[in-house]
Amino acid sequence: MMLARVADSLYWIGRYVERAEHMCRLADVLLNATLDRTESSGQVARMVISAVSDAEHPEEISPWDAALAITMESGDSDSVTAALARARENARQVRDQITTETWERLNLIYLRVTGAAAHREFSDAPSQFLHDIIADLHLFKGAADATMSHGEGWGFLQLGVFIERAQLTGRLLQAGFGRSLGRPVTEHAAMTALLRMSCALEPYLRKHTADIQPRLIRQFLMFDEDFPRSLRFATARIEDHLSGVGRNVDLGGAAGPERLAGRLKARLLYAEAETLTGEDSDLLVATVLEECARLHAGIYDTFVAYSLEMRLPA
Amino acid sequence: MRYALAETAPMGDASAAAAAPYDEMIDPAGDVRPHYAALARRVASLSDEDLAERQRLLERFFLLQGITFTVYGAESSTERIIPTDLLPRIIPAAEWATIEAGLVQRLRALNMFLADIYSDQKILMDGVVPRELVLGAPSYRREMQNLFVPHQAYANVCGSDLIRKPDGGFAVLEDNLRVPSGVSYMLANREAAKRTFPGSFRMAGVRRIEQYPDLLLSTLRSMAADWRPNPQVVVLTPGVYNSAYFEHAYLARLMGVPLVEGRDLVTHDNMVYMRTTTGLRRVDVIYRRVDDDFIDPLTFRRDSSLGVAGLFNAYRGGNVVICNAPGTGVADDKAVYAYVPEIISYYLGEDAILPNIETFLCREPSQLSHVLANLDKLVVKAVGASGGYGMLVGPHASRAERERFAEALTADPDNYIAQPTIQLSTAPCLIDGAVDPRHVDLRPFILSGDKIRVTPGALTRVALKKGSLVVNSSQGGGSKDTWVLGEAEAAEPRS
Repeated sequence: MMLARVADSLYWIGRYVERAEHMCRLADVLLNATLDRTESSGQVARMVISAVSDAEHPEEISPWDAALAITMESGDSDSVTAALARARENARQVRDQITTETWERLNLIYLRVTGAAAHREFSDAPSQFLHDIIADLHLFKGAADATMSHGEGWGFLQLGVFIERAQLTGRLLQAGFGRSLGRPVTEHAAMTALLRMSCALEPYLRKHTADIQPRLIRQFLMFDEDFPRSLRFATARIEDHLSGVGRNVDLGGAAGPERLAGRLKARLLYAEAETLTGEDSDLLVATVLEECARLHAGIYDTFVAYSLEMRLPA
Repeated sequence: MRYALAETAPMGDASAAAAAPYDEMIDPAGDVRPHYAALARRVASLSDEDLAERQRLLERFFLLQGITFTVYGAESSTERIIPTDLLPRIIPAAEWATIEAGLVQRLRALNMFLADIYSDQKILMDGVVPRELVLGAPSYRREMQNLFVPHQAYANVCGSDLIRKPDGGFAVLEDNLRVPSGVSYMLANREAAKRTFPGSFRMAGVRRIEQYPDLLLSTLRSMAADWRPNPQVVVLTPGVYNSAYFEHAYLARLMGVPLVEGRDLVTHDNMVYMRTTTGLRRVDVIYRRVDDDFIDPLTFRRDSSLGVAGLFNAYRGGNVVICNAPGTGVADDKAVYAYVPEIISYYLGEDAILPNIETFLCREPSQLSHVLANLDKLVVKAVGASGGYGMLVGPHASRAERERFAEALTADPDNYIAQPTIQLSTAPCLIDGAVDPRHVDLRPFILSGDKIRVTPGALTRVALKKGSLVVNSSQGGGSKDTWVLGEAEAAEPRS
């Protein structure tokens, strides 16, 4: 049993923390890959900028400005600082529901990125700054995992993490290989950068060796069973946690978001990964993104904003 | 350690100069009082850097825990910790025994007073307290008339403000029976003090206060109807932007009960429910940290969005308990305060163990003229205000301020009381790296449900500005840990 508002906040903490971590990696890879002026660095810049914004002419934005905006821009809900401020604000609202260890980690990160020295630290050594935030976010996740009860609240936190993750990986795949954007990455360095952005380079190399090809990357990020950022892995977790938190809800016979989650998991589990064409992959990624949006709405309607008439005590 | 007593009474008029303030650590002869000896030795053994380092440790603890309030600036907002002083204030066992007995006596009488004025009003019939003073007070709630309150426990949580007078005795300055706050600082200060002075703490034999959340929970549970086997208790907060939000979340967490906002609660068929992920769930006891005015827009202020529509009717129907009961404010009204000694002897037939501060009611013409003639020696307070607002400290005020207050007093005398300027006692504080005396008060917390319990500890509030007598956190006050010592340990029994 947990307050609907609390479940909502925990879900959003999960989403914002995952988003912040992803944005850190994007900014870091962007700054790194664009140190030289080659074709691949142009591809990386285009990929990152189209992954985070709707800018029509991504080449007009300098990598440094883009990285700064991804990291620090306030008010923009996609920047690292904004996501962390929101995660921490949500955590403050459910301070009684998360352990002190978990709270302290998040509070520390927040104090660092909003502190007076943050801008200078970023300008002096952006890579170090971003690396430290990522490391701190891992500590946060570790503290949550090690100290929070893995019950309902944990379920909502993880739902937020994995729905956000599926969407972020999906959007990155669209930005890297999507035909609709017209310019899929082809350069070796750009493809490596793409793997780095999803923290997938080392696991990929272990599986496919240094044979870096768009088809294999796509396969890996979509269908790998064990890689925690693949679409298949994320959607399986979504289904898992949703059936956990939905166990005690009586919907009076109506279908809940679990059905959606189950179907989505099955799509990725039983897709013909080896023979999928580029076009089919695009379609599947688009479907995953749509279904995640529907899941997001379904979770809200079922657990948080349900109508009272449906749930009056007998 | 260099530590000098505060200079006597910084007042212009020599005839008005009160006695020198009582110092908690040093007696008038300049010797360290015995219960402070160990701490004084420890502090003296530390270098300035050590002290500063401990102060940093303390502040970092508060920052990490999120015990902060937000200062909203033009462009960005920053978080500040509540000023906290490193050096604990120590109260010996015998003094505490008197305080405890006095607090229990006082709250028993005030609960009986509330039960009386919300039923037969005998005390008003007998003319002990003026009828119009009680029934005319804005904090008197007609809606509470003839409503059953379990154990007659109206004020389940009470935080009284005590001060130590120059003669060393404690007196009550104010009773807080509405939604007193500060208990989380008492607990957080203790947690911090255990880290900063672990050795001295262990040696001193300080009494535990960590049981407060458990006692609070059992007090709240004792208020639930006895046919509800497992009463659901919740803490109701105005929300995350309230300055005491940290405390609300802290208490909910330590009691293990949900922290709810008004929007989480709904009423249906005169029952109160909270919205959970699996549907509605019945609520039995609401420890509300929202003022009377805002708890139910249907009964009290209509423009309130913090409360729950229909809550008061559910309360009247006996389906939920609100703690503290609405309408308790009439017993901590600054004018009713003057009658508390009479209230105690009326109901209990006893003399007050803890005295009041002498109080002039401006509504009495003779007392008003005395107040007007002595404005430069008195503290004048508006009856309805709190938190150090609407207050004139005569000896520290300018002539213009005094004249403005004199006008206000003559225009609306019912709204004011006056008290002599009391030299609050001083305690050693770490100020800019040096140990220096500052004025302090004492706010202990008393719980009343099926029985009355006092936690052996308190929030000591500090006026951080030199010479200032205002300890409120909204006016530049801070706080420090308060060590109540246990009885001296009996000699080890021989085996």
